Amino acid sequence: MAVSLGYRNAYRDPLGYPEWHAQGLPVEITPAGLSGITPEPKRPKPLYGWAMIWTLLGIFAGGMALNLTPCVYPLIPITVSYFGGRSGKGQLIGHGLCYIGGLSITNSAIGVTAALTGGLMGAMLQSPLVLTGIAAILIFFATSLFGFWELRLPSGLMQAASKSYVGYLGTLFMGLTLGVVAAPCIGPFVLGLLTWVASMGSPWLGFIIFFTLSLGLGLPLFFLAIFSGQIDKLPRSGEWMIWVKKFMGWVLVGMAAYFIRPVLPKTIGILFLAIVALAAGLHLGWIDRTKASFRAFEWIRTGVVIVSTVIATILIGTWVLQGPGVTWQPYSDELLSEAKRLKKPVIIDFYADWCSPCRELDKITFHDAEIVKQAEQDFIMIKVDLTRKENPVHEQLLKEYEVKGVPTVVFLDRRGNEQSNLRLVDFLPADQFLIRMAEAKKLN
Amino acid sequence: MNSARKTLLAFVAIAITAGALWFNNRSVTPKEATWEDVQAEAQLGGYHLINTKDLWKRYNKNPDNLFLVDTREEWEYRTGHIKGALNFPMEPTWLSRWRKKGALEAFLGLDRDRFIVFY
Repeated sequence: MAVSLGYRNAYRDPLGYPEWHAQGLPVEITPAGLSGITPEPKRPKPLYGWAMIWTLLGIFAGGMALNLTPCVYPLIPITVSYFGGRSGKGQLIGHGLCYIGGLSITNSAIGVTAALTGGLMGAMLQSPLVLTGIAAILIFFATSLFGFWELRLPSGLMQAASKSYVGYLGTLFMGLTLGVVAAPCIGPFVLGLLTWVASMGSPWLGFIIFFTLSLGLGLPLFFLAIFSGQIDKLPRSGEWMIWVKKFMGWVLVGMAAYFIRPVLPKTIGILFLAIVALAAGLHLGWIDRTKASFRAFEWIRTGVVIVSTVIATILIGTWVLQGPGVTWQPYSDELLSEAKRLKKPVIIDFYADWCSPCRELDKITFHDAEIVKQAEQDFIMIKVDLTRKENPVHEQLLKEYEVKGVPTVVFLDRRGNEQSNLRLVDFLPADQFLIRMAEAKKLN
Repeated sequence: MNSARKTLLAFVAIAITAGALWFNNRSVTPKEATWEDVQAEAQLGGYHLINTKDLWKRYNKNPDNLFLVDTREEWEYRTGHIKGALNFPMEPTWLSRWRKKGALEAFLGLDRDRFIVFY
């Protein structure tokens, strides 16, 4: 390779370092410490000027895109039909503004709360109970899309809304509820935003960010609402629309399966997702006998079948083909003193089922062949599973090592002292993790 | 498109995916390379070979004129390397070679006549 770049005196020493080292020729070891690799993530600075404007524009665009997520999507027809009863442009705009206002109030409240309570909000969205709740809501909406029941506003609300003044309040209320329904539903985006806002700790910024988000989320709905009269003039939809509805229903079921996966044991979670993908393919491709007047429909249908089978195969395949992982031991004081006696470095992994970086760390990094080999030979690997709380030993450990959240990976050197510069609080790919392992092994 | 063809397509998709997964995940046991293999490889790549003894001679005589490149992973380099060698991690795959071409040129510098030893 160096030759093709034009270097004329390129040599290779095939025996390399091992032979050099074996003959006792001069070698060198990088001094201990992590100089020059992965700087610690800095606390995000408050935003000013252009950076602020760009960030807000990005969040606005994100909010608009969130309308396409299957969680907000089923709400669009409701909104449109709700506004459909209105007459007069001025009134419609007033209602539209009320709607966005209601949405913004809920979301901004969430933003401010996140900023004030710190990481709590993000942690809540990772708790099994909340995740199960979200999954249940998703399934509930999915059954509607499958045609088991019709999503309609209660008639009382409809009547209340038909009176002009109460109507404005009613619209505001609808906006408020959309905020509540959508906020947990649009999952990853809001979760990321929440933790970010929480880390900045400024209620004002929290307000601004989530206000912009809801503006983005509400604007398309606002326009749809204003022009809802014209929606009838769109080309007549055929039977195929029902198929599309069922498809959206399956997307919702898939999202539900994705949300409750952290709650389930690993194997069942993967199987569950795969089964959902297969069932969706079967239903949409073969069982459902919807016909359409245009030919592209059959191609789209076959495409969906192929994509769902491929997803199922990938899920099951990667699970089956995954090699052996690191063998972990539960924590005990004896194990630590044993490690000290054997002068072995120790790695303690604070883990919980419901935390996705922990699972990623486990799935990728702790299944890497080289890491498994080194862990077996030179390390004592301890896993502290914090999935269920109330364990006095674990509480003690959390205090002792000042663990603030999961994942936390603690490295102890051969004498049993923690090397705090190696500590990990996020996912790290295998090659980077190996550097830390080498460092932990090095001292003495 | 009829049902039978759709089913066939689905199975073909499954087979292709499974095959690709297996290909990516199969465990490769690297063959113990003989001296002839190494020589053939060097011929193909257009570079020269050097053994430990000759390298030491050169190293001992004129270390400043020698540029040693350690192509192993960073964690391997950190645990010990030839004194004075610099680390340029590179997996022995064509993808990695292609991706790191520009970086390697910057790493090696402009002097094309330099005596460079990779290991």
